[in-house]
Amino acid sequence: MEALLKAVHISKTFGTLPVVRQVSLEVHPGEVVGLAGQSGSGKSTLAMLLAGLYPPSEGRLYFAGRQLRWPFRARQLGIEVIHQTPDLAEHLDITSNIFLGSEICWPFGWGWLRIPQRRRMDREAARILADLDLPFDSLREKVANLSSEQRQMIAIARTLTRSPRLVIIDDPSLLLSYPYQQKLLSLIQAWQQKGVAVLFSSNNLDHLMAVTDRILVLRYGQCVAEFCTDDASREEIVAAMVGTTDRRQLTPIIWALESYYRAREQAEKLRYSQALLERDLAAQDTINRQLIDQLAEQINALDSANIALQDAQRRLLTELEQERKYLAREIHDQIIQDLLGVNYQLEGIEGDESLSPVLCSKLTEIRGSIRSLVDDLRHICGNLRPPTIDSLGLGAAIQSYTRDWAARTGISVTLDLDPNLGRLPEAIELSVFRIVQEGLHNVRKHAGAANVEVCLKHTSPRTLMVSIADDGRGLPEGFDLSTLPAEGHYGLLSISERVALLGGRLKFQNQSGGGLLIQAEIPHPRVVLPRGD
Amino acid sequence: MLKSVQRLTMLIFARRESAALALLLAIGTLLGLQSETFLTPNNLLNVVRSFSWIAIAAFGESLVIIIGGIDLSVGAVMGLAGLIGARCMQSGMPLLPAIVAGLLTGCLVGWINGTIVGRVRLPPFMVTLGTMSIVRGIAFGLTGGWPIRDLPMAFRLLGRDMELYSVAVPVPVLVMAFLAVVMSLLLTHTVQGTYIYTLGSNERALLVSGVNVAQVKVFVYTLCGLLAAVGGLLMTARLGVAAPTAATGYELDIIAAAVIGGTSLFGGEGSILGVLVGAAVMQVLRNGLVLSGFPAYWQTTVLGTMILLFILLDYWRRRGQV
Repeated sequence: MEALLKAVHISKTFGTLPVVRQVSLEVHPGEVVGLAGQSGSGKSTLAMLLAGLYPPSEGRLYFAGRQLRWPFRARQLGIEVIHQTPDLAEHLDITSNIFLGSEICWPFGWGWLRIPQRRRMDREAARILADLDLPFDSLREKVANLSSEQRQMIAIARTLTRSPRLVIIDDPSLLLSYPYQQKLLSLIQAWQQKGVAVLFSSNNLDHLMAVTDRILVLRYGQCVAEFCTDDASREEIVAAMVGTTDRRQLTPIIWALESYYRAREQAEKLRYSQALLERDLAAQDTINRQLIDQLAEQINALDSANIALQDAQRRLLTELEQERKYLAREIHDQIIQDLLGVNYQLEGIEGDESLSPVLCSKLTEIRGSIRSLVDDLRHICGNLRPPTIDSLGLGAAIQSYTRDWAARTGISVTLDLDPNLGRLPEAIELSVFRIVQEGLHNVRKHAGAANVEVCLKHTSPRTLMVSIADDGRGLPEGFDLSTLPAEGHYGLLSISERVALLGGRLKFQNQSGGGLLIQAEIPHPRVVLPRGD
Repeated sequence: MLKSVQRLTMLIFARRESAALALLLAIGTLLGLQSETFLTPNNLLNVVRSFSWIAIAAFGESLVIIIGGIDLSVGAVMGLAGLIGARCMQSGMPLLPAIVAGLLTGCLVGWINGTIVGRVRLPPFMVTLGTMSIVRGIAFGLTGGWPIRDLPMAFRLLGRDMELYSVAVPVPVLVMAFLAVVMSLLLTHTVQGTYIYTLGSNERALLVSGVNVAQVKVFVYTLCGLLAAVGGLLMTARLGVAAPTAATGYELDIIAAAVIGGTSLFGGEGSILGVLVGAAVMQVLRNGLVLSGFPAYWQTTVLGTMILLFILLDYWRRRGQV
């Protein structure tokens, strides 16, 4: 397929300062290309160049096979640009700003005599704003009186008045709160579904990982790497962004083992003293230098210990699952079968006519307890290894588990499963199952709840949101995850460890109406959703 | 008491035109009390007639100022448009084509201004200063410095009065009223009007919206030239003579009318009603100074001070908003 946008060796110099150097890129229809880089790496300048606002120092640009000459009016070509900070007309109201440059006019006007159709524009604007969950008291409000977030959303709303062929997004999320950032991500996905090309520049790796197909990394104005999002890891991308081949650990691992926290604190202290020492290094003698080297070594050692610890934990969990699987199989294949055999033999004896009726009723009693023993064992097996998870997948396993759990505990469970849940890798499915299991266990043990809501939803093609909400007591005042193990509570802790090992994020919070809400967002390889608008 | 006075002052100065309107009423009352001739209908119609062509040219100028520019060539264009029209009539051309020729002259100069400012992006002050001299030079060159006299009667009727419901209203005043309505509608009710205001307050917003900004600028400068030509032709019709020196220095009066009427030199603000009031203030002040026997040589000083005061007022109002 031919590229919709093709930039060839574009460079831009401000004075003597090169800001963009020899960048070439292609964006195809229906493709989301991410642009990553630290601030100052030239992302915004590149976006401005591609938007036709500045002419580059050198380079060529093709759109839909046609070469463009600067300055061009991007919107006329079907290119929409969302800038880092919104450029709105302060004295105009919300509707006029949304439709600035694409006014809906009465059919009899022409050229500079076009007369705007205010009513229709208001209606359209209200529809667009409702789509964006952006409420306003009046569309006649001047944008000068709005917050910067609202202004940025209006700049985004502007792109929805036309149907673009290419959307260039220059990291507007700085001004947006979480729900509107998610809104932007879902807009990007909607564009992608419609076959619109998107160039998405962002400082937020999570956003880039969630929606892009490819990620280009800019460093000092140069395109230094290109990744296919499905195959790339965060570490690789960050390494390309900061330009280090050293496999330093850049983000702290955040799971909660008591000793680990202590070690971490120590590390922070060491880092701090390292910074202090480095500051007056010039005045220090070689002893200090040695000390710093030692400290640095210690920090490195701590870091690698930290990673090793995490590896060990992961291995431990995997082995635990293996062990459980083995145990479940042993119990199921051996003990239960044997017990059933015994039961069968007893049945044979029971049928013997020569037995006294007293003995016969005793035998029936024994057989009854054997049956309940078998049932108990089956239940234990189910807990050890959900029987349906390997064959029917996570959704089915959770369905049968929650039904069973509700029947046992008498707490009503509402289950809300994503219809497009799909199959995930075994380790992730098991972990999610365990998280639900632990969560429900916790609810029964501590919450005193009457209703539980379990919800599994894809928030993007690469993330799954697991949430468990109950109407019980909620978390106590001054709750601290790191002190739990000392008190012998491991439920929430093991959830947090599992989530951390999957590289996800976990949030506990008391709901406004009482009760606890646990939300875990878990990244996973892309699930291919059935196409459709 | 003090508070309500303060509130009243705030109310008056909140709207852009009101300061000029208050000033107009104040001067009018003062003059009416002082001199018996001022408030006679004859004198009032005279005043309105003599600022009508200034006001018409100021409509265009105010548009240019609203988009953040300035046009210094309007006075020269008024002179040249009248001259070209007169020249054509003298050479035997019928009335209508001659007038159109005069109007086209204004459009052409305006278009040149707009193209250089909008597409080449040179500062409008320098560009129009240049065209001002060029246009004035052409006026002198075409006539050799001599005025053109003996214009046809049909043309001169345009400068006379017209019986309207038994009141003799000068034709230039009618044209001014008509153009004021048209320009007001253009500014407030069309897409182009929105673009013009936005261009003055935030050019970048317009640029990123995909509006052809250069085209809007060319449009505004061309319109300014056209309106200056209308004013020039009416003035020539009234005077009955097309002199190459006609309308010399009018650019100051025209810019002053726009500024006193509340058009902001910082761009983005202004209204046609304000320009009308501004032009009236200028003329009434002149008229009043003459009637009260103020020394003629000092009159420009008063007008200049007035302009400066209004620019300061605009500056303070803007600072108050920020």
